[in-house]
Amino acid sequence: MELFDSLILGFSTAVTPTNLLFCLIGALLGTLIGVLPGIGPTATLAILLPITFFLPPLAALIMLAGIFYGAQYGGSTTAILVNLPGEASSVVTALDGYQMAKQGRAGAALAIAALGSFFAGTVSTIGLAVAGPTLASFALDFGPAEYFSLTVFGLLCATILASGSVIKAIGMILIGLLLGWVGTDVNSGSERLTFGAVELFDGIEFVVIAVGLFGIAEIIVNLESPESRGLIATKITRLWPTRDDFRKAWPAVLRGTGLGTFLGILPGGGATLSAFSAYTLEKKVSRTPQEFGRGAIQGVAGPEAANNAGAQSSFIPLLTLGIPSNAVMAMLLGAMTIHGITPGPSVMQNQPDLFWGLIASMWIGNLMLLVINLPMIGLWVKLLTIPYRLLYPAILLFCCVGVYSVSNRAFDVALAVGFGFLGYLFRKAKCEPGPLLLGFVLGPLLETNLRRAMLISQGSPSVFIERPISLALLIASAALFVLLLVPAIRKTREEAFVEEES
Amino acid sequence: MANRSELGRKGNQPDLLAGLIFIFIGALGLWAGRDLRMGNAAMMGPGYLPLIVSGLILLIGLAVTVMGLTRSSEPIGVFRLRPLLIILVAVAGFAYAAGSLGFVIATAWLIGVGSLADPETRLREIAASIVVLTVFGILVFIVGLGVQMQLGPF
Repeated sequence: MELFDSLILGFSTAVTPTNLLFCLIGALLGTLIGVLPGIGPTATLAILLPITFFLPPLAALIMLAGIFYGAQYGGSTTAILVNLPGEASSVVTALDGYQMAKQGRAGAALAIAALGSFFAGTVSTIGLAVAGPTLASFALDFGPAEYFSLTVFGLLCATILASGSVIKAIGMILIGLLLGWVGTDVNSGSERLTFGAVELFDGIEFVVIAVGLFGIAEIIVNLESPESRGLIATKITRLWPTRDDFRKAWPAVLRGTGLGTFLGILPGGGATLSAFSAYTLEKKVSRTPQEFGRGAIQGVAGPEAANNAGAQSSFIPLLTLGIPSNAVMAMLLGAMTIHGITPGPSVMQNQPDLFWGLIASMWIGNLMLLVINLPMIGLWVKLLTIPYRLLYPAILLFCCVGVYSVSNRAFDVALAVGFGFLGYLFRKAKCEPGPLLLGFVLGPLLETNLRRAMLISQGSPSVFIERPISLALLIASAALFVLLLVPAIRKTREEAFVEEES
Repeated sequence: MANRSELGRKGNQPDLLAGLIFIFIGALGLWAGRDLRMGNAAMMGPGYLPLIVSGLILLIGLAVTVMGLTRSSEPIGVFRLRPLLIILVAVAGFAYAAGSLGFVIATAWLIGVGSLADPETRLREIAASIVVLTVFGILVFIVGLGVQMQLGPF
């Protein structure tokens, strides 16, 4: 059993004291930012990215991954208790979860959310362990043409599954690509788009863009609107769900897990999309759809399982193909690059301890979250009383020192100011900054592979059509593009995101 | 912001703003890359993709602008200058001070000025934040993680 050996390797790597410690720190930090509204996992990862430079690579990745899935747990706690979703992915949890809390069933909702998340996390971790090696061995044969087509496909998928206008998302990706090409061109050695600034000859640091667009811009936007705080509905008296709750919840958990695992793999998918789709699915299959919105436990169980499954399985494309599927995965790619690791199929061959250690740590982290969270719910809710005006100066300091520390120069901090302003404008213009980040990290890869493929084929684009995998990916991309132009599908897509925006 | 008066109350304002940003960035890319060699498809020069992509951004910008003019009107929401300017000035000041004046002054500036962005902040809270975060920063970032920044101006 090769899988079994690999998992043993993974667990033996993940249970070293350092890795366990950073797994715990990640899970706790994740829960913390999940509970606190106004600071999301993307911004937190951006801010903490430079600090991970001081850690061993595996510990860094374990901690960052922990923040991501920990935030899914934390976000649901406040969604249920105070009707205040800490994360976008727990918006739907609030619909029925808060109603349950008002009826005095907060404990049951919290327990089902936590148990469902843990189950989903376990299943999709196994999914990652099984699908990972297969996909990676498949990808090892990829040449430049396949990688180019795969990148195009990934970027296009990301625009379709992201919320908001598609044409704006494509524009954002292109801006990201352009930013990724700033600096010295590896082929010719000439400076590109640097405006003569010596500091830009090595390109723009990932951290600068991430902190500017997600950290600084988010603080400014948060400060624009007055704080809104819900009130805790009831005291939690009975934590354990009734037998009837379990009977209703477990099929929803199974469906949510399946749906979330599948949607998480798709580029652009992930926790939020999974949760919304699962809620819709539960409402459709339920024999009593009128209960939804009035405290149906399936409305908590399905989306909670789905968002955790989606969060875990969105690691699959990054770890096996080297293609991040959303902004959070782009952050992890940035973290790997800081440590000199190129994500992709070769990681599993050359550094199996890193790949399997990370996977094992995710399961351990999920277990930790289950154990930590249920008894500590009261403490997390108390944290909600900390006003934002005391929090954001500390976040600002982390942003500034983090950006500075990447190459120890003040220029990067000044550049982050510019990206902060740009990020603010993007939010006002209703442009999602996530696709820009994907374009930025994939820009150099896209260009290198396109150049190589075209060099080999002597300038003939037929190389992308002659190779079957590349052709399939391009056909899929074209099909997606055509689908978007069909009015009926565009309408469904817009409707699917309406709930999210409201 | 300037856009508000120019665009009036008609049109989809977020789209119009997005269109303007895209047009600006696309044009900036074309201008910055004007001297780069294009090359050809078989031997792409440094300017090949940047110029094509800049052109595409410009086109998308025009398309989004047209969409903004024709689609149903939507207001852009409020621009509050206070948090925007204060946060940007606070971080820019940190950037300036980090290079020459050292960590303590840079942090005190960042926290002191940055805290003013929230109108509810009280003076005593600002003072406490400055002290706590500066000490925390020295211990964690400079001593603990070894970030290369001098503490004071000397």
